[in-house]
Amino acid sequence: MSVRELVLSFERDRWRAAGEGVDVVHGDLRGLETLLEAQLGGEAPIDVHLKFDMASMPRWLHQYQGHYCNYTLHVGRRPGRSGRA
Amino acid sequence: MTTNRRWWSGMLATEDWWSVWIGLGIFALGLASLLGLDLVGWMARPRPWEWTDLTGAFAWSKLFTPAGARYAGWHPLVSFAATYVVFTALFALGARCMRLDVRRFVVGFSALFVVTWAAWIVGNELHLTMVDATVDGRNRYSEAGLSWGLQLGEGAPYLLALLAGLALGNFGKTFAAKRLSEAARAEWYIKTAIVFLGVNLGAQTLDASGFAGELILTGAAATFVAYLFFWPIVYFAARRLFGFKRDVAAVVASGISVCGASAAIATGGAIRAKPIIPVTVSMVVVIFAMLELIILPGLYTALAPDQPIVNGAALGMTVKTDGADAAAGALLDQLMIARNLQLTGARWQEGWILSASLLTKIWIDVFIGVWAFVLAIVWIKKVEKRSDAVRVGPMEIWFRFPKFVLGYAVAWAVFFGIASAWPALAPTLEQGTAVVAGPMRTMLFMLTFVAMGALTDFSKLKGLGKIALLYGLALVVVIAPIAYVVAYLFHRGLTPPLVAP
Repeated sequence: MSVRELVLSFERDRWRAAGEGVDVVHGDLRGLETLLEAQLGGEAPIDVHLKFDMASMPRWLHQYQGHYCNYTLHVGRRPGRSGRA
Repeated sequence: MTTNRRWWSGMLATEDWWSVWIGLGIFALGLASLLGLDLVGWMARPRPWEWTDLTGAFAWSKLFTPAGARYAGWHPLVSFAATYVVFTALFALGARCMRLDVRRFVVGFSALFVVTWAAWIVGNELHLTMVDATVDGRNRYSEAGLSWGLQLGEGAPYLLALLAGLALGNFGKTFAAKRLSEAARAEWYIKTAIVFLGVNLGAQTLDASGFAGELILTGAAATFVAYLFFWPIVYFAARRLFGFKRDVAAVVASGISVCGASAAIATGGAIRAKPIIPVTVSMVVVIFAMLELIILPGLYTALAPDQPIVNGAALGMTVKTDGADAAAGALLDQLMIARNLQLTGARWQEGWILSASLLTKIWIDVFIGVWAFVLAIVWIKKVEKRSDAVRVGPMEIWFRFPKFVLGYAVAWAVFFGIASAWPALAPTLEQGTAVVAGPMRTMLFMLTFVAMGALTDFSKLKGLGKIALLYGLALVVVIAPIAYVVAYLFHRGLTPPLVAP
């Protein structure tokens, strides 16, 4: 299984995932993940590690918590493409 | 870009870690006393003074002096300059590593430092501090010839610092925003002070291990109250009474019930909420924490002057954000000691009420990473139903762990370990680290009061509507009363040891 590591940020009310040749933007995180699945589906199965960039949080908040979230989006093979769920 | 990729990420780039480095670094200087060296005695400390004495014949030494006996020959202003240079340099180094604007930071820090020291010196005037009480046959209030006094004890400098900060934040908004904001980092200063407090806890454990152990263990019980009692109640109220969506309700519940802004951000991240949600909740938390800091220490002192540890523990469960909780604990500590002295003529040892407040809060802080991890799993599996596609790693627990707690624990363990293993060294150790646990710690508390005040703009509450209303209701109806009952059940009748005559 291949792996991608992208930086997740939140800019002007929109989520953004960027890095390694990928740059997608959406107002909703579920929508962003759908875009990633569409763009990276050809490489499936693939794990996309999303690391949140704290620079997109107001600076005064960093003193309370220096971390927002990291998570992994697993993009599996589509049934129609590989024959497997 | 600031992302956490490895377990060591942020060790030189976050305030949390820098509070550990600065706190333990200075503590290590204090440990040099074991080698016969005094590397911290240059620190200036204010002295009690009376204004007619000062106007008669002015001398700087009447206001402040070097804290260490070996530095007694230093001019007070040289000691003050050394204090300014050392602390400014240390925090500026941290600011540089955190990629802050160092020039703006130094300007802001210098202004906060001056305000802090002005409040600290003025706050030591006898008409503000001296308590009218007879102790061991002596009444120092009468001996000083005072005809009136506010009798606030050592709480007076804290109150002045808070007032000065609030004046800056509310009547000098432009100045505070432009000149002070880069350096008004209350959480950094208080976390560094908390590392120093590890020394106090070490000394307390040495003097009264049973009492200290009880405070440590009962602090853990508060964790269950915050996470398993407050949180569900507030979440339910947010959903049913206020109609908030699940993500908003979860973030609000964590902010109000657990540990304030830190919990709101951790929860927002765990459930992958839009960052605007924890940002908004954090604004409410910070303003309410200031209100709690202003109201609760005086209220508890007035209503229950004979329940010091109950009051401290209740405060720890009620006041959110580390800065406000530790500051409120320190203020309560001093107000309660002064009030008890006034009522009974007995002087409690300093620091125990603060420890009761702080240990409660620290236990709650420690589990925020675990709580956020659990919420993340629940959200993925039960709310979003995306467990096939989304995974969260356990490393998130570490990223959210409050690192200053490590500094606090290390300072406590080193102090207690050395004093227990080599009892003959204990007096030297206590004497050598007294400056760290005393004036240095107090100065950082004072800086916290000023910095918190400078960043609190009460007018911001206007636009925060339903969240502010929920916060206020939950605080008054749920959090404060239940916290007090729980603290009463655990600690009723407990009082700090008395100062030896």
